[in-house]
Amino acid sequence: MEFEVNGVRRTVDVDGDPAAVDVVRDRLGLTGTKLVCAGGVCGACTIQVDGEPRVSCLTPAARLAGRRVTTAEGLSGHPVARAFAAEDALQCGYCTPGFVVEAAAFVERRRALHGTARPGREQIAEALAGHLCRCGAYEGIFRAVAAACAGDHDTAPTGSAPSGAGAAAVPRVEAPEKTDGSARYTTDLHPDGLLEGVIIRSPHAHAHVRSLEAGDLPLVPLLPPDGVVRYVGQPVAAVAGTDRAGARAAAARVTVDYEVLPAALDARLARTGEGPPVYEDKASRKRAPGSGETPQLVPARWRGNLRGPSAMSKRPAVAVRRIQEARTKYPERVVEGVFTTAAQTHTPLEPHACLAHWADGTLHLQVSTQSVKAVAELAAERFGLPAERVVARAVHVGGGFGCKMGLTTDVVAAAELARLHGAPVRVVLDRDEELTDGGYRPASRIRLAMTVDAAGDLSALAMDADSDGGVSVGGTVAALARFMYGKAPRRLRDFDTVTHRPPGAPFRGPGGPTMCWALEQAVDEMAHRLGQDPIALRRRWDGNPKRHALYDHAAALPLWSGRRGGTGRFRRGVGVAAANWLYLLDPVTEVELAVEDGIVVARCAVQDMGTGSRTVLRRAVADALGLHEARVRAEIGHSDTVHGPTSGGSRTTPSLVPAAADAAARLREALGGSDVAARLDAAHGVRVTGRRPRDHRGFALPFTLGGVAVGRGFTGSVQVAEVEVDTRLGRIRPLRVWSGIAAGRIHEDRLARSQCEGAVVQGIGYALYEERRTDPVTGRVLTDNLEDYRIPGIGDTPEITVHFHQEGFDHVPGGGVGLGEIATLPTAACLANAVHDATGWRPYDMPIRPDRLLEGLGT
Amino acid sequence: MSTERPDLTDLTDLSAAVRARGGELRAGGTDTGARQRSGVSTGPFTDLDGVADLRGTEPLPGGGLRIGALTTLAELAADPRVRAGWPALALAAGTAATPQIRAAGTLGGNLLQRNRCWYFRNPHISCLQKGGAGCPAREGDHHFGVVCGGGPCITPHPSTLATALLTYDAEAEIHDEAPRSVADLYGDGDRLHHADHLLLPYRVLTAVRLPAPLPGERAAYHRAISRAHAEWPLVEATARLALDGATVTHAAVAAGGVARVPLRLPEVETVLIGREATPGTLAAAAATVLTRCRPLPQTGYKTTLFRDTVLEALEQALDGAAR
Repeated sequence: MEFEVNGVRRTVDVDGDPAAVDVVRDRLGLTGTKLVCAGGVCGACTIQVDGEPRVSCLTPAARLAGRRVTTAEGLSGHPVARAFAAEDALQCGYCTPGFVVEAAAFVERRRALHGTARPGREQIAEALAGHLCRCGAYEGIFRAVAAACAGDHDTAPTGSAPSGAGAAAVPRVEAPEKTDGSARYTTDLHPDGLLEGVIIRSPHAHAHVRSLEAGDLPLVPLLPPDGVVRYVGQPVAAVAGTDRAGARAAAARVTVDYEVLPAALDARLARTGEGPPVYEDKASRKRAPGSGETPQLVPARWRGNLRGPSAMSKRPAVAVRRIQEARTKYPERVVEGVFTTAAQTHTPLEPHACLAHWADGTLHLQVSTQSVKAVAELAAERFGLPAERVVARAVHVGGGFGCKMGLTTDVVAAAELARLHGAPVRVVLDRDEELTDGGYRPASRIRLAMTVDAAGDLSALAMDADSDGGVSVGGTVAALARFMYGKAPRRLRDFDTVTHRPPGAPFRGPGGPTMCWALEQAVDEMAHRLGQDPIALRRRWDGNPKRHALYDHAAALPLWSGRRGGTGRFRRGVGVAAANWLYLLDPVTEVELAVEDGIVVARCAVQDMGTGSRTVLRRAVADALGLHEARVRAEIGHSDTVHGPTSGGSRTTPSLVPAAADAAARLREALGGSDVAARLDAAHGVRVTGRRPRDHRGFALPFTLGGVAVGRGFTGSVQVAEVEVDTRLGRIRPLRVWSGIAAGRIHEDRLARSQCEGAVVQGIGYALYEERRTDPVTGRVLTDNLEDYRIPGIGDTPEITVHFHQEGFDHVPGGGVGLGEIATLPTAACLANAVHDATGWRPYDMPIRPDRLLEGLGT
Repeated sequence: MSTERPDLTDLTDLSAAVRARGGELRAGGTDTGARQRSGVSTGPFTDLDGVADLRGTEPLPGGGLRIGALTTLAELAADPRVRAGWPALALAAGTAATPQIRAAGTLGGNLLQRNRCWYFRNPHISCLQKGGAGCPAREGDHHFGVVCGGGPCITPHPSTLATALLTYDAEAEIHDEAPRSVADLYGDGDRLHHADHLLLPYRVLTAVRLPAPLPGERAAYHRAISRAHAEWPLVEATARLALDGATVTHAAVAAGGVARVPLRLPEVETVLIGREATPGTLAAAAATVLTRCRPLPQTGYKTTLFRDTVLEALEQALDGAAR
């Protein structure tokens, strides 16, 4: 078959009826075309065929015969690609080429008809309805497409940078590579002799594997030591082949003899401790994976399948007594209820992926991870190698959100298979595997009661939270309520209801949005009970001065005092919610600066999964040295350099920036002070290493937890959301969200805003759409595709305004801390409060699906 | 004729190829592609895109319209003739799926696509539709299941265009077979345990014929979904009204997402015809669908949603008439 790709004639054979994406991506190596959902839902594989966008995953390759195909690579230098980079319409970048290909066609069509008139949000949203961005960079995408239509990016910026044309015009360092498809992610790498590995997974929710027969086929067993599989989809073994089909065929030759055992699939039963035990003994319980940042930090009792409580209470007996008294004496002062939250799957658009090969006794890993340093260290430990014998690379990472930390199955399988075969082996999860075994925020059931004293101050709080994270344990939901609303007595207990279902994993602010869903709705309810303004009541209860500033700002918003309610079909409501979060950091972070060919190369074993750490590092170094950013290159994503933080726990920026500043000071000194720029050309080879200095007056705890230090002070957020509720058909439309964030000084304004906007989008998904559903009979995940697992699209994005309160972290070098998590905590509760404001009905259960809303309204 | 190398431009040859080697016919490939990749359907797939004359619209004597089966949804949505004469079809075509899917997906493919049940679509699960013994959704999770009709398969029919075509009393042309009404592509659903339509796998739907529009008629299509775009409907409805002054002289109403087949709703039409189109009449007409509903344990919400989506379509159609 002959066709034209990006202006070049190509000939390929289409035997076996491949999809267009397989030909374009795998055979022609145009890896800007990403394969994500494989079902025409997400648009990441979009190509233009004779100028018209097509999802290449569902286009038979044979249909390309004689046609003209354009991929993201062919649009390099296109005004739309420039607009995406210049307006920072991306984070991890994995969906970006697909968006650019679609938007280019839209912009060209539109400009032919309407000239440079700027399209409205609705027109852009309709045109891009077939694309999903898990980072939620939709605000930037709106901006970029509108700007491209208006002609703002028709010519490349010139003369703005001393070298690297246009570099300084782009807020995010790697944006140009991510928009034209040249950024190579782990899934895009294809060295000669590469084998594809696949994972054989359990079809049973609970079984003992009696034997694993593969004949002479090289096979990597992935079973736990007791040989028991505890969920459908649990890895059993891995095999490899020359391509995916070959690997699948090899997998079919493996015989697994399962002794099927009765399974516990109902979290409600687990709550009573009943059901076939998931973990029989202490040894197996100890191996239970963690759904929080630190799995089994606090030891807890087990009763059958119920683990807990682990308690973070303050004067719990007093709290319980006060609530009981109030129930009988002043029931009007008690708010209580049972709140539930759905399991939210991370589903980063680049799946878990690892390419491993061994050379001269050294293990080389190319891995999609948010902890490149930790992966290398853990792999060395696992394979009994000295630390320097494992080198991990994570140059571009297509999203993570918490699920890509540590030695995940893809890494173990790839490394073991590569050793067995003596060849490079790549393991890339399919979307169904990612949505089944890639991790999720556990579902929960929270019983909450709170009471106030005669003066209307919080006098007691009780919260019991059951985390429903399948075989995983360590949910910390109630514990987080310790840090909100003063010092009133409170009983806060966390339980895990353990079942034979896939494990949860830490997800952006583990436990936080879940806790807020209950607490912030309860506070809202109390405000109504007391006849008080919900912002005023929070301001009164909340002693945090940074949040006070945000409350004052929020209360003055026209949004807050705007039109509400109504009795017609469409009702508007405005809600508020607040949150706080810990300030964490990696206190042994280092940054190395080396002068190479007249520029400063900054190195650190950190990675950028779309959060912007590469850009933050470059900025920190450039600012500290008084250099133009074009004279600094940040080289990250390599484990074999100085220690860098895991991208998790909002710790990256507050670890990296002070270490970079320290390194810069050392370099300046090494170069003799004063004008560094003038001395660089003569300083080739100069190299210094800076360390993360301690905070002024130290940290909150004298020790670290798994390498993480807890700093002093909490970050805060206050959000205000406006929704429109269709009381006939049950649709909730988020209209506007104001997000006030207190995380100290902002180091990269544009990128920090994007983080906060994306956090709101993910919170909207949590509140309204996302729901991992499991077959109650077999325990198999049903929402294992992006059609049934519903993440927000661009049309679901409200107008988001981000406000930064930049004071309060003067004790931190650089004055700022991380904000990736705090920015998503209150969103879901904020929307729920807005729905209540609009309708008078309180959504206790998440997501607020149309059927739930309509049932609640009694229509 | 050879089944090994069928003449890609000849319907008889292509049909014979499918008859001989099994598998499925393929139009736009948007449905088959997903099933092929997941392994639910193994093919082989016999492409229809080489056949001339299956694409585009052509006026019929008497004011009707013939639409080739390979006409895409995007073409239908944009076609000035369709928009003017059969607006519910254009609206339905322009609302379904996403822009890329609409640009590739075809009229014929939309009518004859397979259902979206997550048990059926999962290659690891056996079900009636895949030759299995039972329906796992019944005891399992059927939140998106039917609210009318008791199975044995309980997944709704996926065709959005069918609901529109039902209201137009459209007829399907089938190669080497007598034409049949679009409704007769599906029957009442009782026979759709192993399929989503009644045509034999090698039969080719070549075109759809629409009768002439009524003078002054207006129509609407609406789907109830949770997100803004790109979602399979919980319930969808099409309404077509003709009025003489305020009196309804003709009504055709159909719905999807509620039953094993797209449903025409004569009970709604009966209430409307001959009455003034007041809000009360529309509400009473829409409410007649409730008697049809036999909700499953998890689809109770669809009863009132069914009623209210029909009401929404009726109101929108009436607003159109007022314009």
